[in-house]
Amino acid sequence: MKLLIVEDQPKTGHYLRQGLTEAGFMTELVADGSTGQQLALSGDYALLILDVMLPGRDGWQILQAVRGAGLDTPVLFLTARDAVEDRVHGLELGADDYLVKPFAFSELLARVRSLLRRGSVAHQETSLQLADLRLDLIRRRVERSGQRIDLTAKEFALLELLLRRQGEVLPKSLIASQVWDMNFDSDTNVIEVAIRRLRLKIDDEFPHKLIHTVRGMGYVLEERQC
Amino acid sequence: MLMRRLSLSARLALLFAACTAVVSLFAGVLFSRASEAHFIELDQQLLDGKLIGLRRALRDVQSSEREARLADELSRQADLSLRISGSDGRRWYDSSTALPETLPHQPGLSTLSHDGTDYRVLNAPLYLDKADSPQLTLLLDITHHQHFLQRMQHLIWLTVGLSALATALLGAWAARSGLRPLRRMSAVASGVSAQSLNARLPEEDMPPELAEMAHHFNAMLARLDDAFQRLLAFSADIAHELRTPLSNLLTHTQVTLTRERPLEDYREALHSNLEELQWMAQLVNDMLYLAKADHGLLMPKREPLELAEEVDLLLEFFAPLAEDARVVLGRDGAARLQGDRSMLRRALSNLLDNALRFTPAGGEVRVRIVDQAKGLRLTVENSGEAIAADLLPRLFDRFYRADPARHEGSSEHAGLGLAITQSIIRAHGGQIRCESEKGWTRFVIELPREQ
Repeated sequence: MKLLIVEDQPKTGHYLRQGLTEAGFMTELVADGSTGQQLALSGDYALLILDVMLPGRDGWQILQAVRGAGLDTPVLFLTARDAVEDRVHGLELGADDYLVKPFAFSELLARVRSLLRRGSVAHQETSLQLADLRLDLIRRRVERSGQRIDLTAKEFALLELLLRRQGEVLPKSLIASQVWDMNFDSDTNVIEVAIRRLRLKIDDEFPHKLIHTVRGMGYVLEERQC
Repeated sequence: MLMRRLSLSARLALLFAACTAVVSLFAGVLFSRASEAHFIELDQQLLDGKLIGLRRALRDVQSSEREARLADELSRQADLSLRISGSDGRRWYDSSTALPETLPHQPGLSTLSHDGTDYRVLNAPLYLDKADSPQLTLLLDITHHQHFLQRMQHLIWLTVGLSALATALLGAWAARSGLRPLRRMSAVASGVSAQSLNARLPEEDMPPELAEMAHHFNAMLARLDDAFQRLLAFSADIAHELRTPLSNLLTHTQVTLTRERPLEDYREALHSNLEELQWMAQLVNDMLYLAKADHGLLMPKREPLELAEEVDLLLEFFAPLAEDARVVLGRDGAARLQGDRSMLRRALSNLLDNALRFTPAGGEVRVRIVDQAKGLRLTVENSGEAIAADLLPRLFDRFYRADPARHEGSSEHAGLGLAITQSIIRAHGGQIRCESEKGWTRFVIELPREQ
């Protein structure tokens, strides 16, 4: 799993590489478009993260070259300009996703993982599990330590998302988008409340907490050693 | 083409001058024609009288005395000459040697010019009853008449020229003074700048033709002034809104770095900074969204939407929040609409979020959809303390908060939500307003059916 980052801003590039490396990816960073295009065309990468404005060749040109060469490597665009035309242009050229600066790193990480997962064949699970928490996808039932827990449909969907992406920090925007299909910037604290209510049912009565808040970034479902 | 570039005063002056010239020229020509006709009439009478005398002289008198009688007859009128010719056209007699060789032959009166002298010529037979009668040709010297007429013509041209010039000058003066209100308007307009948008034209001093224009001009200035004041307030607010988190970041970071600390403190500092930064990022994104709306760049898609479905999804989204606050959510009515799903969800979500924040526990938030002939009306209403009437229009102002004191914490709202909702509704060609009375606050959205 090697990722290519083409970003000319040294600070941004550095932090992107550091963050993605620490998240377990192998990454390569280049700062100019021409080198970026050469590397991208080698076909050695699982994902390309391209800035739009680049010296040499811009992000659009690299994308065109990659798609022109018949490669279907997923491409995630980073752009400082939130112009509708840019978005449409990028998607027409075959970009898979885009993020507008300033973006949260947890958001980028979640999108990168989604894009990488897209390629792999999703095996049909019948249940999801973490520690003593078990979610039966067929009968739509949740148990913890053998004890049945009643969840509303949305709470079930939220827990399913957390379980499927256990260990990943999921930003609030991603949760709103995946569980409620709400794809807009919102400063509402609905997600906080929904997580709190889920915790009440899943975690409160048990000594080992599974849902954790990562301040300023989002929520993660994982087993932590205390 | 030239007219288009001349000043209004010059244009009016030229038109005045042209009118005067045409009128005086017409009068002059008429007068000169009339006097010429009058002269011809006088000459005719005179010549007719002479003709009778001459005929008598030539008929009654013996041939030996004829010349004497003729000379006598002609001597009484110094400017009269006579030629007698035979019926075959041969010249028999000339009273003067200076007469022209050829004379007009047509009977009756005609005019002839010869050697600097003008004549009125009258041809008539000597004997009215004889077919081959000798012809009498009387010539009356009318040079002085013609001179008079020429002088008169010169006078007319002079009058035309002078009166045109005079009206041009007077017209220019009149036009300039008549157009003074326009110049005053232009002086005011030239003095308008970002600092002096409060200048206004005195509408009551304006002539009626310009009063309306002055009114519109003033209204335009008022709108500009208002927009500019809002812009100024907006920039000041942006600076203020960013200053608080920036100052927090600066202070916190500096204090953290002043001495060695346990790892946990650094983590805490970074988390706290992260919260401030996220708040700032959200603020910048919201402001960019509003800026896009202001520049008309918010272009909603036209997807067919079931409004009831959309509202239900949003109510489901807000359900945890409502249950937590012990507020009942509900929806009435349904309608179809062409619009941008994501934008409308955002607009309604801001309204619902706002409503939930101001509804007391045990209260109610209702969404009503009314399908009307010319459009649809959607209201989001919540029970709770009413908002003072004078505050209602300000709710949509940027950074406006019902509670002026800023609360600390991540759930803090920058006060742009309702402004964004308004921008989205306007981008869909609709209007939004707020009503508040008797324990209910109601946001009313009206969307046209066809945009």
